Amino acid sequence: MKNFLLIRFLCLFGCFASVLNLCAQQQDGAPSDNANTLHESGQQYKQGNPLTSAADNTIIGRNGMGASNLALQKSILNSKINTFIAFFNNPLAGTQFEQFLNAPAETSEAAAAYRNNISKIMELLAPPASKANQDAAYALLTKASEFESDANICTTIHDAVYAAANGRVEIARLTELNEQLEKQRKIAEYNNLIASRDRPLQQTSTDKNDVANNNANQQLERQARMEPTKRELASVGQTIEHNKMQIATAEGQAKFQFQALILQLFVQRRYQHVIIANRFYRALFDDGDQSLASFQQMADKLGYNKAAGQAKLVAEGNPNVAGAVGSGGGHGAGASTGSNGNGASVGNNNYDGGSDGSAFSLSGMQFGVQNVSVESLMNAVSSGMKTASRTFKSLSQLDGIANEIIRDVNEGVKSYKFLLSQNEIEAATAQLVSVWSKGQYLPSVQLLTQEEKRKSLKFAQLVNKLISSGQSGNIDTLASAVTEMKKEAVDFDDTEILSNIQAVKLGSSMHIAQARVAAAKGDLQTVQTEITRAAGIWPNNPELQTFSSDMTKVSQEADPMVHARTEFDQLYEQKSYRQIFQGIDKYAVAVGTDTSSNSAVRLNNLNLVKKRMQDIETSIMRSQEIARRGDYAGAWEGLEITFAQYPDDQKLGQLRADLTTQSPDFVHDIREAKSYEEKREYGSALAWYLRSQSRYPMSDLSKQGIERVVKLLFPDAT
Amino acid sequence: MSRQKKSKGFPVWLIVLVVLLAGGGAFIGIHQGGGDASLRTTEELDPQVYYNNANSLRGNTYKIDVEIGSALGNSPTKGRLFSVVLKKDSKGANSAPEILPVLVPPALGGLTIQKGQHYVMKVKVIENGLLKVEEATKP
Repeated sequence: MKNFLLIRFLCLFGCFASVLNLCAQQQDGAPSDNANTLHESGQQYKQGNPLTSAADNTIIGRNGMGASNLALQKSILNSKINTFIAFFNNPLAGTQFEQFLNAPAETSEAAAAYRNNISKIMELLAPPASKANQDAAYALLTKASEFESDANICTTIHDAVYAAANGRVEIARLTELNEQLEKQRKIAEYNNLIASRDRPLQQTSTDKNDVANNNANQQLERQARMEPTKRELASVGQTIEHNKMQIATAEGQAKFQFQALILQLFVQRRYQHVIIANRFYRALFDDGDQSLASFQQMADKLGYNKAAGQAKLVAEGNPNVAGAVGSGGGHGAGASTGSNGNGASVGNNNYDGGSDGSAFSLSGMQFGVQNVSVESLMNAVSSGMKTASRTFKSLSQLDGIANEIIRDVNEGVKSYKFLLSQNEIEAATAQLVSVWSKGQYLPSVQLLTQEEKRKSLKFAQLVNKLISSGQSGNIDTLASAVTEMKKEAVDFDDTEILSNIQAVKLGSSMHIAQARVAAAKGDLQTVQTEITRAAGIWPNNPELQTFSSDMTKVSQEADPMVHARTEFDQLYEQKSYRQIFQGIDKYAVAVGTDTSSNSAVRLNNLNLVKKRMQDIETSIMRSQEIARRGDYAGAWEGLEITFAQYPDDQKLGQLRADLTTQSPDFVHDIREAKSYEEKREYGSALAWYLRSQSRYPMSDLSKQGIERVVKLLFPDAT
Repeated sequence: MSRQKKSKGFPVWLIVLVVLLAGGGAFIGIHQGGGDASLRTTEELDPQVYYNNANSLRGNTYKIDVEIGSALGNSPTKGRLFSVVLKKDSKGANSAPEILPVLVPPALGGLTIQKGQHYVMKVKVIENGLLKVEEATKP
């Protein structure tokens, strides 16, 4: 029972705290918060990041995309200054409202009977209510409770009245008992008085010496006579005080429980029940005391454990904030206002478990609890009760507010019907949300037909689509949803949303532009970050498609093997064979691991380079060795043969030039011979070859030249 | 008296003898050693001019004093090709030997040519700058 009360208090005062926090909320914060978020995330990436590996790039990309998404969602949703969107961004509220829109009007016989019963009860209890009317109203409570929509609240009131009446009976009995005890006490006081008096007839003369003894004996005798009466007097007095205490306690407890019930009904938006319970309270406690003093006293007596801290009840009343938060996790206010995960989960539990919490969330508020423990929950109960008692000073206040809300809801329903007739769907639906959130259980709201709610239902579905589009981060879907909404509701103001969508698209394109600049600089990390941001903001940006192939190419360049293969191709095309030869190990590995379609060509080219450089290097080494022996003509001739094959090798050409100066006559003869041979003056060519051979008899060039020219001169020569 | 006899001039018979001897010698020279006379009138080949521009010498006939080098080729139709080393070298001992290719046509097929032999040849610069032997005598 104690636990039940604790839970009930928690629900009641948690919700109550939400109401109070709502009143205190300022309509600001969200836009600047979003701006800060954008700014901070932007600064983070702008200032650079020491992470350099591929995995780190992925992390940066994800962070960037996450920040962009969050910024996008906040920006888009906050752009529409409309409580309606924020309201639907709360999944629970949106679902329940759609449920209401789909429900038929409460026109059944049972519903009509219920409404009649409630009205009858209120009429019977209207002051001045006779005892007979009160009894009749009391009897109708059980009948009213039979209807499902009542949720047995009338039974609860019935029980509370019964308990309070029982308390009153007990108080009357104790009062009557005390009156009897008062009479007994007076008798006991008289007896005590008589017992205290001396008895002269029993006195005997005594001599002078016995006076002292005689007086002492008389004193003892008086005390003995008074002892029973004293005892009786004390007992009666004690019983009377005990009864008085019981009377005070019983009355206070009865009042407290009834006041708590009324507050709970108010929080549950059962305003008709608030009025009924309030009138029963006045009938039961007809001492004229309408204050919530008992409630306040009880609240003040509750302890507060400072060491445990307070279970912080958090509530958000700013619709814009609610919208932004809902997009973050969709788990209610705990996630929004709590700074840690525990706060978020507890907030959700409170939502699900307490109907009070859900009731208040429907008005576009968020509700949650942080720092939850047994002690902190007790602290929350204590604080909630104290806050409630300070806000509402009397039951009359609650009664007046309940009546005002009923009137306001009835006016809102009329306003909704008028706006609907004017085809102003957005305004009408916003009005409907307002009256539904305030007076969901009032007859004027429950009697709205499906036909009357149909257009709002369609609009609500479009809003849901708009919200989900915004949360998905898909700008194209969002734009489509806005267009559809505009068709459905001509009064829907899409200017700001479309403007923001355009801004977001532009932002995405700017990121791509920055990526292109970074790619031109070879800054692959920045390229990846910028492209990820662009995709995060606008996934279907067509520029992303065109950039993707470039992106792939750029990313491939990050691979050292790919880089080496590309370098090899470039050097081979530039005929920088010696440069390839200097890095032959690197290129051999790169070409060996090549799996592309060009692998065969690359491998063949690599082998050609290898053979070429081996020939050249071997020739150079051999010539250098021959030159060391002083045979410069022989050294030159060796290089000349190789040079004829590879005339574009600089090292070979340089060494050949050096050796030319060491044996100029021989070189001159050979060159002259070749020149004449090319001019088909074979006689002269033969003469020069013979001359060069005479200078260097071992000359292969001379010998080959002679044989070749002779063959040309005399093809039939033997 | 004796002095008058000595101053009367050469005897007739002596003059006739000298004329006969001269005529006989000329006859023998004409019938047995007429080539030497033509080689003597032929200009010697300047090897440097030949090396530098043999084409400009095409059609000319020159005399060369050479030592047979090596056989370079033998064509049944065109003749034998030899390398020869000029004996008269104006460049001095330090310069490289002047080696020239000469073609001995089939018409001179009877000429015995071996390495190391000394010949004086009358050569003609033909097409391709080759030196075609027209006459060859051993000095």
